[in-house]
Formats: sequence, C-alpha cells, structure tokens
Amino acid sequence: MIGEIEIYGVYFPSLLILMVLAFGVTAGLRILLGQLGFYKLVWHRSLMNFALYVIVLGGFVVLTRGW
Amino acid sequence: MMKKLIGKAGPVVLTLIVVVAAVLVGRYLWDYYTNAPWTRDGHIRADVVQIAPDVSGLITEVKVSDNQLVKRGQVLFVIDRARYALALKQAEAALAQQNAGLLQAKREAARNRGLSDLVSKENIEQSEARVQQDEASVAAATTAVEVARLNLQRTVVSSPVDGYLNDRTPRVGDYVSTGKPVLSMVDAHSFHVDGYFEETKMNRVRVNQPVEIQIMGETHKLRGHVQSIAAGIEDRDRSNGATLLPNVNPTFNWVRLAQRIPVRITLDEVPADFRMIAGRTATVAVVAGKGEQP
Repeated sequence: MIGEIEIYGVYFPSLLILMVLAFGVTAGLRILLGQLGFYKLVWHRSLMNFALYVIVLGGFVVLTRGW
Repeated sequence: MMKKLIGKAGPVVLTLIVVVAAVLVGRYLWDYYTNAPWTRDGHIRADVVQIAPDVSGLITEVKVSDNQLVKRGQVLFVIDRARYALALKQAEAALAQQNAGLLQAKREAARNRGLSDLVSKENIEQSEARVQQDEASVAAATTAVEVARLNLQRTVVSSPVDGYLNDRTPRVGDYVSTGKPVLSMVDAHSFHVDGYFEETKMNRVRVNQPVEIQIMGETHKLRGHVQSIAAGIEDRDRSNGATLLPNVNPTFNWVRLAQRIPVRITLDEVPADFRMIAGRTATVAVVAGKGEQP
C-alpha cells in the first residue's frame, strides 16, 4: 500500500508495478486458456479477460501486503 | 431440452461468477488504496529552541561548531565579559559611595541625639530621616550590584536543552543584541512525526492506534502510535473584511479537495542506525489493531 518505487528521482506507487506485472501474467494466462479451449465455455471473452485481470491484480496486492 | 438450456446457460453463469468475483476484488482494492487511513504527506518534526542572548555585546568566544550535539547547560558562546565586569566594578563603587554616606549620616544622627538639649527637635528628625534615606540608597546600590553580577553571568550563553545546533552559529566578533535570536537548536528529545491525513480518512484514525512510518529513502520502517489529533485547522474559505464582517469565499461545490488534518505520532521503535532529521518526508499508515477494525 505505502510502498513506492524510485526511478531516477521520480517516485511511483508500487501499485503501478503490480499492474504491469498483473497485465503480463494475464496475457500469459489468456494464451494458455485459449489453447486449452476454455473460451468455448465463456459468454463474453473480453469481459472474462478483464475480470481475470482484476482478480490477478488483487492476488498480487494481497501477496505484497505490507510493502 | 433441459440439457440444451444448461449448455446455453453454462457460459453465462461461469462468466458472471468470475465477474462477480472480480467486482469483489475490485472493491477490496479500492478500499485498500483509497479509503484506508494512510498518507504520503507526513514529516518528521522536532521542537526548535531559538537561542537569544540576555545581554548585548560582541561575541568574544564561540565554544561550539555547526550541527554539534550539545548537552543541556553546555556553554555555547560568550559575550564581551570585560564590559560587564567593568559595569560590576562601577556598581560596587557606587555601593561603597552610598555606604560612606550612610555611615556619615549615622554619625551625625547619633551626635545630634547626644546633644538633644542644644539641637532643635527638627534637626534631630532631619538627621534621622537622612539615615533612612541613605539606608534605602544602599539597598538600591546593592541591588544594582546584583544586577551587574547577573548581567556578567548572562554573558555566558548556555544551552537550555539537549539537542543539535543548527547550521547557523554566531562567529567571534558578531554583535548580538538582547532578545534577538542568533541560533536555533533542535531539541533531541522532541522528535515526532506529523501525518497530514485527508479529512475523509479521519473516521478511521483513533488515538493510540499503532502506526507504521516509512521515511523516504530508508529501507527500514519506524513504528509508533497516534498520540493526538489536531482539534482545528484554519478555515481557508473565510476571512474578516475591513469592516470585521465575515468574508466567505464562494467556492465551486462540485470538485472539492479533502483538507489535511495533522495527526501527531509518537515514535516507539526506531532502528539504531537511523538518523533523525526534522523535516524529512514520511509515509504514515495506521495499522488497524486487533479489535479496532474500522
């Protein structure tokens, strides 16, 4: 929550880094699920992808609590 | 028929379940980052004592250097002792003069009383009154000597607190004036943190709640607790006009910024190698303690 990352004197909240990480992980997850044929069972593909992204991000935030 | 319906509804239900989960996670994230009582707007603060000499004069000696740690009572600098030593001598001379006068008056009074048949009553009264006057003068001169001695003592300026000198020390030869501060000291025992919390978060801040403090650029966290919350801040939208009537700023009500309330935090745990510097930036987060769930 209170963490911040300094890049050459500019401070970013750690949430920004977590968002980028979560996006990468979700991108990988998308490819994996696509190959497994998961999306045949899905109603709206984009909605599912966004929901997955939020859940993955939430997971990262919980894992890094106290940073 | 039934199977077909389930086959059609299945994807919708699955998607909605995941979306609901995402909404719950999103709410948690919003609460965690936006509503939780924490702020990046905090600072280390300390009491600053301004040292002003009690007597004027040239500085003849400076016994400390910039940023030095100074004990309570340690001598900081000395002001022109010669001048105040001379003033003391002068006062003592005046006292001697008054004493001589008093002795003479006493002798005269005794003599007049002894010759009471020859001397008029008025003269006796006059000589006794002179004794009393001279006694008062001696008392005044004695006080003047005490004052001169006090001034001489006050030429040595010593530290009223344990603390750090700030970087503006007086130099030998500077002329200092009574009551005009020449250097400031940071009280070493008064370090604390002020967190400026948005007023929207105040309902989650309670006195005695534990607090984590992250100083900008430090790897280790400091710990403390909420000591007190400010009882008031300035109303920025109101001032008094020239006629003493309230002058209220007509604010635009759609976009409003939360004001900041100072919350004073007492430090409990500080890493041994951490150097306190008043003014450093701190991120302050209130830890919701057990049984204090907001």
